[in-house]
Amino acid sequence: MGILDKLNAVADARKTLFPPGVDPLNVVIDEIYSATEASIGGHRVLLAGTNNYLGLTFDQHCIGAAQSSLEKEGTGTTGSRMANGTFAGHRDLEKDLANFYGCSNAIVFSTGFVANLGVISTLAGPGDVIVLDADSHASIYDACKMSGAEMIRFRHNNIEDLEKKLKRLGPKTEKTLIIVEGIYSMLGDCAPLAEIAALKKKYGAWLLVDEAHSLGVMGDHGRGMAEAAGVEKDVDFIVGTFSKSLGAIGGYCVSNHPELDLVRYICRSYVFTASPSPSTIASVREALKAIQSKPELRTRLWDNAALLFHGLKELGFELGPDLSPIIAIRAPSREKTLFAWKALLDKGIYVNLVFPPAAPAGMSLLRCSISAAHTSEQISFLLQAFAEIKALMDKQE
Amino acid sequence: MTPPRYDDIYKQVVELLQEYAPQPGPISEETELVNDLGFDSLKVMEMLNDVEDAFDITYPLNSLSDLKTVKDFTTQILNIIETS
Repeated sequence: MGILDKLNAVADARKTLFPPGVDPLNVVIDEIYSATEASIGGHRVLLAGTNNYLGLTFDQHCIGAAQSSLEKEGTGTTGSRMANGTFAGHRDLEKDLANFYGCSNAIVFSTGFVANLGVISTLAGPGDVIVLDADSHASIYDACKMSGAEMIRFRHNNIEDLEKKLKRLGPKTEKTLIIVEGIYSMLGDCAPLAEIAALKKKYGAWLLVDEAHSLGVMGDHGRGMAEAAGVEKDVDFIVGTFSKSLGAIGGYCVSNHPELDLVRYICRSYVFTASPSPSTIASVREALKAIQSKPELRTRLWDNAALLFHGLKELGFELGPDLSPIIAIRAPSREKTLFAWKALLDKGIYVNLVFPPAAPAGMSLLRCSISAAHTSEQISFLLQAFAEIKALMDKQE
Repeated sequence: MTPPRYDDIYKQVVELLQEYAPQPGPISEETELVNDLGFDSLKVMEMLNDVEDAFDITYPLNSLSDLKTVKDFTTQILNIIETS
């Protein structure tokens, strides 16, 4: 057997799942026009699956800051901060993040994925325990494996199961890191963070919250689920990404534990990877200002999310349990999900097609993510298209 | 010598495997979960919830890398019960 033989299974799965010429997992966007519109396959398409929650990818201040940085600082850093040095922008963004969260320490990473990978695998090690939500992101699972810690899973958002598992650990809870997400990326459901934080305190464990999908979305100041749940002081580490609400790419961790600053010396995904380009850092700094100075973006985002969520419910779609900017439609089969996804694209709408294992519990999903940049006309267009798709899907039964 | 509770655990494990196996078939100690019963990672995770409930244990995910046969699974569960 050669090393490539295992990929035959991937080729077979692709052939079985997708008809010739259709590859929903490899869509090419020929041209991007705005935060909500692009060209795919030669057609103008409404984007409803981008995670661009605040629509800041085309914000003129962010673009201006990035352009200015490009002119002054060049296109890239060409190496890691440990080897090539920290640019002033990296340091300033870390200060901005620490100030934003009211924390003493922050570290910036090159992506959200490597932020999780680096922080978790550095904080926890052999002899420690990680208790993670079952629906955690792949980066969290990979980080836990890398850490060498004992890895325990609790049922998704199930407080009773979490408590049962903490109780069984006994005195080991003082070396236990609980990991949850603010909003879960596939179904858009929210963590019961107040209860989780209470358990963390009761059992003397540590708590890390991934706010990738909740930064800029939750909380009066947009700081995320920990702010919304009123438990920021009980969360030991917050990890997040620049690639969603902040409209760029990169990741971060903030904490009031001063030891976080030591993580950067031994964290492999920080030490051995190129640091974010200065133009990216410049646009993120502007986007972070926008989160703070433009609360109306959050209001618009939630209004749009409510409009789509309730509209789809009225049409009879089965949705995730919570209203959030991630609105996932559960379809009865992979075939029907693919059919609906393709029909939507033909109507000029791009959403995400999600199959297991990316979707939890064997579900097939049409995943929408809504933006503050969507207009009410665009949401009406989405609902109209979904109504027509629903009729076609029902006809197939 | 087989530990005293091994047989009871084995019996329950077989019942759970029969319930969840994507490719049902005869099960012995040497039966492999992936190659013989068609388990994939998702199906294993689904079954683990019931395994944890049935034996009132926490099954660490790290143990999955050493899990191949029904005997492995039964022994792992026995070890977890004995050390908890």
